[in-house]
Amino acid sequence: MAPAGNAKTSDKSQEKTQPKSSKSISSSSTAEYFSKNLQQVGFSSQTKAVLTTLKEAVDNSLDACEEHGILPEIKVVIERVGVGSIKNSERIRVVVEDNGPGIDGEDLPKVFGEYLASSKFGRGRCTRGQQGIGISAATTWAQLTSASGAKVISKTKGQRKAVSAVIEVDIKNNKGILKNRETIEWDRPNGTRVEFVFDGRVQVNGEAGLLNYLLGTALVNPHVTFQYQLPDQELQTVERVSDAVPQIPEATEPHPHTMKLGEFIAHSHLFGRVKTDVWLKRGFSRLGDAAMDALPKGLLNQNVDSLSNADFEKLFSSIQSVELKAPSTSSVLSIGEDALSKSIQRLGKIDFFSVVTRKPTICDFKPVQIEVAIARLEARLSENDAPVQVLRFANRVPLQFDKSACAIVHAITSVNWRSYGLGQPKESLPQGPYIMAVSVVSPFIKFKNASKETIDASDELVEEIRRALMQAGQKLSRHIKAEEKAEDLEEKKRYIEQFGPILVEGLVRITGAKPEIKKRAEEGLMKILGRDTSHAEKELNAATARLEEQLEKERE
Amino acid sequence: MALRKRNNDQIPEISREICLRMLTDLERAKRPVLHATKCSLDNAIYNPKIGFFTPGDKKVATELNVSSVKKMSRAIFLLEILLRNIDSGAVNTKRELYYISKGEIKGNPRLKPLDFADQPESDDIIDFICEMLEVYREDFNCYANDRGGQTYSQQLIVTETLTDGETATIDLSKLGTSPFQPKNRPQNFTLKMSERIDFGLIVESEGTANTLVANGFTKRNKSILIGSQGVPSNAVRAWVKTIQDQLKIPLYFFGDLDAYTLQNIFRTLKAGSAASLIRNQDYSAPDVRFLGVLPDDIKKYDLFDYPVREQDAQEGRALKKADDALKNDPFFQDKKNKGLAEILRWLLKNKRRCEQQSYFSVAPKDPTMPEKIIVEKIKRGDFV
Ligand SMILES: Nc1ncnc2c1ncn2[C@@H]1O[C@H](COP(=O)(O)OP(=O)(O)OP(=O)(O)O)[C@@H](O)[C@H]1O
Ligand SMILES: [Mg+2]
Repeated sequence: MAPAGNAKTSDKSQEKTQPKSSKSISSSSTAEYFSKNLQQVGFSSQTKAVLTTLKEAVDNSLDACEEHGILPEIKVVIERVGVGSIKNSERIRVVVEDNGPGIDGEDLPKVFGEYLASSKFGRGRCTRGQQGIGISAATTWAQLTSASGAKVISKTKGQRKAVSAVIEVDIKNNKGILKNRETIEWDRPNGTRVEFVFDGRVQVNGEAGLLNYLLGTALVNPHVTFQYQLPDQELQTVERVSDAVPQIPEATEPHPHTMKLGEFIAHSHLFGRVKTDVWLKRGFSRLGDAAMDALPKGLLNQNVDSLSNADFEKLFSSIQSVELKAPSTSSVLSIGEDALSKSIQRLGKIDFFSVVTRKPTICDFKPVQIEVAIARLEARLSENDAPVQVLRFANRVPLQFDKSACAIVHAITSVNWRSYGLGQPKESLPQGPYIMAVSVVSPFIKFKNASKETIDASDELVEEIRRALMQAGQKLSRHIKAEEKAEDLEEKKRYIEQFGPILVEGLVRITGAKPEIKKRAEEGLMKILGRDTSHAEKELNAATARLEEQLEKERE
Repeated sequence: MALRKRNNDQIPEISREICLRMLTDLERAKRPVLHATKCSLDNAIYNPKIGFFTPGDKKVATELNVSSVKKMSRAIFLLEILLRNIDSGAVNTKRELYYISKGEIKGNPRLKPLDFADQPESDDIIDFICEMLEVYREDFNCYANDRGGQTYSQQLIVTETLTDGETATIDLSKLGTSPFQPKNRPQNFTLKMSERIDFGLIVESEGTANTLVANGFTKRNKSILIGSQGVPSNAVRAWVKTIQDQLKIPLYFFGDLDAYTLQNIFRTLKAGSAASLIRNQDYSAPDVRFLGVLPDDIKKYDLFDYPVREQDAQEGRALKKADDALKNDPFFQDKKNKGLAEILRWLLKNKRRCEQQSYFSVAPKDPTMPEKIIVEKIKRGDFV
């Protein structure tokens, strides 16, 4: 793990990440830019500050463990420690501890105190972190609101003692400052513990609540063991249900059809002085010899760093008109139906569920993989008219804001859930005591805004998610149908018992019929209604058989 | 005519017959089937000689099975209460019947499954019973608190026979500015004229009806003036029908020029409705004519009209319905009502409407101007 070794990538990334308006500022004021615009990276309200800090730290722990093939054990403690300095805020402490690879002492200032220092930037992989902004932003927020930096303890494998230090951001120079460094005993072979004290407000429940993040993260990470303690609550433990550390596939080179002209030109800068045809062949996937033949010969022989913008434009547009194989889908990863089925049991007592893992596919020229899990929660059985609880994930990170514009929500509302037995008002989310989790994994997720909270609803992506949902809906409907048939039979039996005698008695009273007529009529009525229930019994048997068949298939 | 006229002496007998048939079916383990008249436009017949909608032969059958056993049990339960009312002469509204049934159920836990969650549930069962026996709810002594129908006249004398056989006589000329308010029991009124009455006028707006009277309409014209208060209630419909049958005077309707008034208000008054197929014969007055506002009046009197707001849910729906009516409604399709269909077509084409109150714009300083126009139109025969 060497965030330090990425100086070159960081420089490039500055150009890409900073908004145009700040072009004029020098690279050393990157930290200044972010410290003034923390709302863009998740610190736009008191409650979001707590959630974002937690999320940046946990995502980093998960990424680091995954990278090193470690089964993560993560402990989270969130406490109120006093009143905040900002009006209506509280002083909050967030501690996240992992058993990951640890961070070298020298790297601590870069990781926690320098923006755009990342080991993951622009690599086209499905990691949670992508940019090298997250944790430094958390440090900045703590620094600005409570004048304290990130308190870190970290130990790498083979080290006898752990490093403990406080890191602050040197905002003027985009540098981390290391303070109070000491080596201490720590009773574990390796890991990292980060602590932030800052102003914020704790929101536990609801869509944007901490619990939603923690449970959502548990759901899509079956291999994680979570311990968490929220303010005024007991320590909770969610055990792992899978012993397989997900293998994050290596990135594939970008596909030229997925790029815009600007990105295309920027991509060439990574290669320095090489012939254009070499750059194209090495720097992109799917540009084979046949495709190269169709491109302007004159340009291919020149050095790529000597091309003018007009040359690039010419080259770019001729590449766009060449037929290329679709990008490879080998760079995505899935949780898998098996692991999802186990993981979803961790969300609460569940009476039935259905999971679907779609094959990787290409949407808008980018590889994606969709997975869906739907479960019915026993604890919520009374909430039949409430909309289902939607859990959205982008590269296994829960999305908790701006739900209505999201591709996932568009897809859910476009499905006719009534045909699977769920209630659904027109063009709305379905209703009932369900959790509906949709995971989108892709090395290139297109977000709708800078704070990465909604996935752009392109037609192709929405359609792919919709298919996954429909498959899950079909599986779910077997459960619902079997249950409905059972209820139907139950109700019919109850109806017969309840209404049969009342009906006959009423008829007898009005007509003044004799007792023996009453008796015969009652018997006749039971016979008639009995025929109806035997029909319902048959339907129930058929529905149960269909469900069994499906469960059998899932077990295989 | 397909309709049998029943009065409530026969109802107990018919009810018993139906119940007996059900019992016999049950004894043979055969599913009893109840037939009710289908009350919808596709089962409505319009014969211009009769003048109102009568039911065709379509029936809705309810067969006893597990799904219908609740509805049937409820129907028999309520039928028993209604028969008891006929027997004792007790009178109730639907809402009261709802509470009576709840009271019965409270007193007998075995009946608990029948319980009604709200009034629409018991109302549905009452309607079902009426359609099954082809009787009016009023035949079961079940009356609605009908609105509208305030009546003014200097010549009309009403004799009402009460349930206990006593009679009361009301001379409308003695009521001052108070109107006479008819109740929904037409069979109990006998009408007399102290002097020849020239015509009856039904005004859509209650307020405008009051204004006309206050300004002296009934003093100057030997007439009966009635406010219908929008869509006529059963009481208004039956009352106009009674006036038509007993007094045989010309009747005119005066209301807004728009699709809603024409179809929902005027057509219901004149020919009844599809929903009330089994009762139209006593609840429609085919002789009523449409006095206005007529499309021609707009030019003639230079009235203020304005465009239909198609975005407005109710007005938009009325226009759409007008189009449907021209295609499907036997009333508007019949050549006897050609003139009315013509107005609908005019409304669809011009998408304008004109309110009855616009007559007040003709001579703003003369409060009797609307009256003058109405009387002049009647004299000239300027109605449809
Ligand atoms: N708990 C940890 N254990 C090991 N390495 C870590 C840990 N937290 C952070 N790092 C390293 O520090 C780098 C910077 O983290 P940071 O959160 O700033 O960026 P990121 O995760 O790469 O991207 P993003 O800004 O999208 O979160 C990471 O790329 C990773 O190499
Ligand atoms: Mg991160």
